[in-house]
Amino acid sequence: MTSDKGTKLAQAGQNPSSTETTNKKSQVNPKLDTTSQKRIGDQLRAMYDELMQQPVPDRFRDLLDQLDKAQPSPKAPPEKDSPEGSK
Amino acid sequence: MTAEPDLRDALLAAVPSLRAFAISLSGHVDRADDLVQDTLVRALSNLHRFEPGTNVNAWLFTILRNLFHSEYRKRRREVEDPEGSHAGSLKTQPEQGSHLDFEDFRNALAKLPADQREALLLVGASGFSYEETADICGCAVGTIKSRVNRARSRLAALLNVDDMEDLGPDSMTRAVLGK
Repeated sequence: MTSDKGTKLAQAGQNPSSTETTNKKSQVNPKLDTTSQKRIGDQLRAMYDELMQQPVPDRFRDLLDQLDKAQPSPKAPPEKDSPEGSK
Repeated sequence: MTAEPDLRDALLAAVPSLRAFAISLSGHVDRADDLVQDTLVRALSNLHRFEPGTNVNAWLFTILRNLFHSEYRKRRREVEDPEGSHAGSLKTQPEQGSHLDFEDFRNALAKLPADQREALLLVGASGFSYEETADICGCAVGTIKSRVNRARSRLAALLNVDDMEDLGPDSMTRAVLGK
């Protein structure tokens, strides 16, 4: 996926005039300074990358293989078990 | 209508990013996997509604996001503490121990309203444009922009506030990481 696209958009989304002069007000400021914004973006992507690298659980591969082979009519998904059922 | 191999591959290729989104959005790995499964089943039974040439990923994310919200509304009626259950479950991540820094981040993420969280995830991590995200969420581009901005500000506040007030083990992690 295009992660630099996100970065570009993140930069485009903020007020360009405030990028260098963010320290003027150190009070609670609704506008984030670039450093915090970048730090949050980096953490978010790092967390996400870690999740993306987890192996794909077999259930999804099996599900797609099954549907691929069976080519069922649209109304009949295989064994749709209700997630964690009713107590 | 058959599931063409191309499409099957596209669906399979989308699974990691769908899972990452679902886990980050819901905070529950099990629930996320159920969401992904339901998304795939629904996608396959609605192949005729997919317009060839359009973005498969955006279509899948739209399905997943809608499933999440309808389920969230249902659960919210059953469980009166969605935020608490969300935050609590985050501590049972299997990778706990190796990535305590992410645990901080996940906890902060869990405190955001769902609409802000999803906007931030789609724009900031899943690689969608503001326009695509607006389509996925069924709202205006301006709405997405303001949700993303509010999400970032809130996260910054949450993470900084923790820095100053929380002297628990997490602050040690941060010190080790040089933050």
